[in-house]
Amino acid sequence: MYHRIIGDFKLIIIDEDLCKGCHLCLFMCYKNVYAISSEVNKKGVQLPFVKFEERCTKCGTCEIACPDQAITVDLPENWWMKDDNDINFNPNFTKGDK
Amino acid sequence: MSQEKQNRFLPYLREDRLPHIFCPGCGNGAIINAFLAAMEKAEMDFDNIAMVSGIGCSSRIPGYLKCDSLHTTHGRALSFATGLKTANKDLDVVVFTGDGDAASIGGNHLIHAARRNINLTVICINNNIYGMTGGQISPTSPKGSFGTTAPYGNQDTPFKLAELVAAAGATYSARWTTVQIENLVTSIKDGLKNPGFSFIEVATQCPTYYGRKNKLKTPTAMAAVMKANTVFKSAADRMRPRDLEGKIVVGEFADYTKDEFTESIDKLSVEKSGNRTIINSAYEREL
Ligand SMILES: Cc1ncc(C[n+]2csc(CCOP(=O)(O)OP(=O)(O)O)c2C)c(N)n1
Ligand code: SF4
Ligand code: SF4
Ligand code: SF4
Ligand SMILES: [Mg+2]
Repeated sequence: MYHRIIGDFKLIIIDEDLCKGCHLCLFMCYKNVYAISSEVNKKGVQLPFVKFEERCTKCGTCEIACPDQAITVDLPENWWMKDDNDINFNPNFTKGDK
Repeated sequence: MSQEKQNRFLPYLREDRLPHIFCPGCGNGAIINAFLAAMEKAEMDFDNIAMVSGIGCSSRIPGYLKCDSLHTTHGRALSFATGLKTANKDLDVVVFTGDGDAASIGGNHLIHAARRNINLTVICINNNIYGMTGGQISPTSPKGSFGTTAPYGNQDTPFKLAELVAAAGATYSARWTTVQIENLVTSIKDGLKNPGFSFIEVATQCPTYYGRKNKLKTPTAMAAVMKANTVFKSAADRMRPRDLEGKIVVGEFADYTKDEFTESIDKLSVEKSGNRTIINSAYEREL
């Protein structure tokens, strides 16, 4: 399957074919990395885009929260990763009492 | 990052069926991700998982996953799962069910599966409504909420599913929402590891029916309301019942161990006949 990837970013990619434009990624990202584009694509979806990539802590929340598996974050580069297979949440990000 | 890198959940999904049928912003998709992340964390074998579901939007989830699955009849997912697990207790049986599926038509199956403490992991997707059939009121719809069967607002008190299942005898029971996605992942992981009946209720959004009927126009509006209404169990224990009205209490309601159904059957079988429970009775001689 061929997926179109929006933008040319290093850390985060959004798959235009899978995104349905719910904008939950904007809601879930605690660093406000995303913004909504002003145009709609051919499916009538107002796509999100990565506006402030430098803010991203690669916590991976948006990747799990996107209902359409449209977001890919380059997690294994993360600073709290011990090894490549340990895809985990940042232990300092939330302790469950947020 | 190279352009070939793909979403970490896609390898588990039937890509030819994507994008899935769920409406934009429906919580079901995020719950698939949370389950897969939890499964990775629990270091489980994806090929040893058998998924069982009933009927409903939420029950369509196993159809998108590349593992064995049974899409059964409305409300009977737990009955099929009980049969599957009893016949082959080495399988990891996971049940995806909706609030209508689990609590109205399947309510009795739910409490008795919990009472037996059979080793299943049940993920109950509670969107407070019958999504698939067009927005009828379900046993978990909040008092005063609107649906096609409640044009003047629902008059009934909803079930508290996680508490109900804990009281019925489940050894693991928890409630989280799609907004506390990290806690949800950890909770599903704990449920998968628990050797007994594990019930994880996920409060989620159905923007198409619940949202539209209840003046919550966008998925993000629903998520924001859900986040604002969430109370952690530790805090809720110190609150008065009337302050908790309309709130979603999140946390764990049961986490302990006791005798498990298939283990007990095995033990009884060995005691009485000298054999472990027979897996495929028709092929008994070949075993
Ligand atoms: C025996 C039977 N009764 C009724 C139905 C109609 N029906 C299909 S799905 C559904 C409700 C599903 O609600 P829920 O389990 O909450 O799933 P959701 O769609 O909300 O995820 C009903 C009543 C049916 N398919 N079979
Ligand atoms: S959460 Fe996913 S589907 Fe929704 S707008 Fe963001 S990228 Fe698109
Ligand atoms: S990985 Fe975390 S910080 Fe980065 S965009 Fe996603 S949610 Fe925001
Ligand atoms: S009707 Fe509701 S539950 Fe069903 S897919 Fe749409 S948003 Fe999800
Ligand atoms: Mg429902």
